[in-house]
Amino acid sequence: MNAENILEKINGEIKDKILEAAVMNAPRRIQVKVQREQLNPVLAYLKEKLGFTHLGTISGNDLGDNFEVVYHMSSSAATVNVRLLTPRSDPRIPSVCAVIPGAILYERELQDMFGLQVENIPDPRPLLLADDWPAGEYPLRKDWKFNRPAEIIPGGE
Amino acid sequence: MIERLVHWSRVKSPWVLHLNTGACNACDIEILAALMPRFDLERFGIQLKGTPRHADVIICTGPVTRQNRDRVVRIYEQVPDPKFVVAVGACAMSGCVYRGAYNSMGGIDQVLPVNAYIPGCPIRPDALIDGVVKLLNSLK
Repeated sequence: MNAENILEKINGEIKDKILEAAVMNAPRRIQVKVQREQLNPVLAYLKEKLGFTHLGTISGNDLGDNFEVVYHMSSSAATVNVRLLTPRSDPRIPSVCAVIPGAILYERELQDMFGLQVENIPDPRPLLLADDWPAGEYPLRKDWKFNRPAEIIPGGE
Repeated sequence: MIERLVHWSRVKSPWVLHLNTGACNACDIEILAALMPRFDLERFGIQLKGTPRHADVIICTGPVTRQNRDRVVRIYEQVPDPKFVVAVGACAMSGCVYRGAYNSMGGIDQVLPVNAYIPGCPIRPDALIDGVVKLLNSLK
């Protein structure tokens, strides 16, 4: 099964659930754009029916007015990038832990770094940032500025 | 008399605590190599201890991460006086490539008073022995 066959299947069977699907320039790589509500059914279809069992990572992308969240699903035949746009004013994404339980670490990291709200996440505790990290500071947002504390020079100048 | 005895034993047999404050493990491996029979820090009476309450010297590796800051200070406070801190490696000296990152405080000297700096990335065991011996000589 090559990328074109997979694309045919996706277009044939879940056409109503996706916005757009295409083979990208790179070989064996397919891009699927979805809506927020259809994310879980699409990932479940890819996992159960087409054998995309490996979620490589979830990447976040700050596009200014929107956040783009990319789910990298792999099988032995190809990689599918499932893309989801969410507006900056309302940064909610659904949790995919019901389909892929191991995704919880990626989702907690997204919450820490981008301030996305993952709905129905089983365990919403912060993952990477320090315990005393101030609320509402998200280091990977493009408009975030780090106020670097003044350095101590031992013994003066 | 007792004071002289205490001072003599402190210089002749300092007990060290190995503390990783966020290092990549390279300096830690070199410290262990220095303690092992090939380089044998123990011929100077230096013994590795598992708890800060038994230690005289803290050997720190790595930049201080923000999560680690309070814990490092707490460990420093547990060491009985007089206590000495040795910053081991480029990261512990200045923060190195992690300097100015949002999750790093920079070098150990941003959090603790440091008595000796040992440069290197990672340090060689010889450099560690040299640094520790210089620290002990300065106590005499």
